[in-house]
Amino acid sequence: MNEATIDADATDRMLLQRMSTGDRVALSTLYHSYHGRLCRFLSRLTRRTDVIEEVVNDCFWIVWQKSGEFRGDSRVSTWIMGIAYRCGLKALRQHGDEPVEDDALSDDRAPSSDPDEDRELRDWLSKGLDRLSADQRVVVELVYGVGHSLDDVAAIMQCPVGTVKARLFHARVKLRNVLPTLAGESPVMKESVS
Amino acid sequence: MTYPMDTGQDCLRAWEAMPWVLQESASPEQSEWLDYHLVRCASCRAEFEQQTRLRIALSLPTEIQLDANAGLKRLMDRIDAPEREETPHRLRSGSWLTRGLVAAVLVQAIALSALGVKLWSINDAPAYRTLSQVSAPVAPGSIRVVPDASMTLTDWNALLHSLRLQVVSGPNDVGAYTVAPTNSTTTTPQIVQQLRTARGIRLAEPVVTP
Repeated sequence: MNEATIDADATDRMLLQRMSTGDRVALSTLYHSYHGRLCRFLSRLTRRTDVIEEVVNDCFWIVWQKSGEFRGDSRVSTWIMGIAYRCGLKALRQHGDEPVEDDALSDDRAPSSDPDEDRELRDWLSKGLDRLSADQRVVVELVYGVGHSLDDVAAIMQCPVGTVKARLFHARVKLRNVLPTLAGESPVMKESVS
Repeated sequence: MTYPMDTGQDCLRAWEAMPWVLQESASPEQSEWLDYHLVRCASCRAEFEQQTRLRIALSLPTEIQLDANAGLKRLMDRIDAPEREETPHRLRSGSWLTRGLVAAVLVQAIALSALGVKLWSINDAPAYRTLSQVSAPVAPGSIRVVPDASMTLTDWNALLHSLRLQVVSGPNDVGAYTVAPTNSTTTTPQIVQQLRTARGIRLAEPVVTP
């Protein structure tokens, strides 16, 4: 854990402590701090913006209510992401776990001023992630996108570290085989899982 | 688990190190070793380039643009109105619970009533008697008599008449009658003695009352 991470966690803990006394300014600060990363994380589970919006608030509703019960066994970010993950799974069970068509995102897409390169990278990633299961997408997002360790991911997904390793491994193998093709290249290596 | 490596243990080690080097959580030694390996292994270098691109792609701001302020306002509204939100839920679940309990009580009451009526209507004497249970009252001086199966009814009646006895109960399951004297001029032991000597009587015993 680097210094920036330690500092961020100390700030989060302080905000949680203040929230446990009913401090709404602290809630507002923490909400804004996590809103973007929660949206991105949950977008790996579903593309439905209405569901993502609902899950973010369900997550923070729990964080607000349980802020006094945070034991500090993990980083605050790990705790919050775990709550978001469970809320997300619950929402998927209620709404169905199939993402809506991309058309539904048209109004919520980033402005068209996005650099072409970024747009191309997004498409490449999106097509690659579509080949993965929801759990594999979540692991990839948590490791590569958020930067969590295997232990953190296991805590968030409430599963053994070995399970996380297996999900990451299979996700990487799939991506290794499809991403070069999606980028117009031939695969770097043939899969030789024996 | 098997790894997609066909170029030796170093490639396996490189494959495992890549995510952690990319997220800068690997040790300096691990990072240096990976750099060293990548210079010499084109396959791992290509894989690492793709992993780097993957990390960059995943670090881009999400396509999904939701208004954090609007979301926060909705959350605050929810916090401000916990009763409004929770109370109907509690009432709904309470009413379901109440309905369930009432239904259960009604079913139990009906079942108990039916059982009571059935038991009351049967009113049979139990087929057993406990040791503490008082047996049916027996007249003083009663005698239990077992006539022989070959004894005719005429002989039986004649015997009872001669000894001034009358049947007060029986025959029971083993063919025993309980007889009682119609007058008190003769004592029970005498009658028992006479019965034992009479033809066709297999057993005669005075009934002993507690």
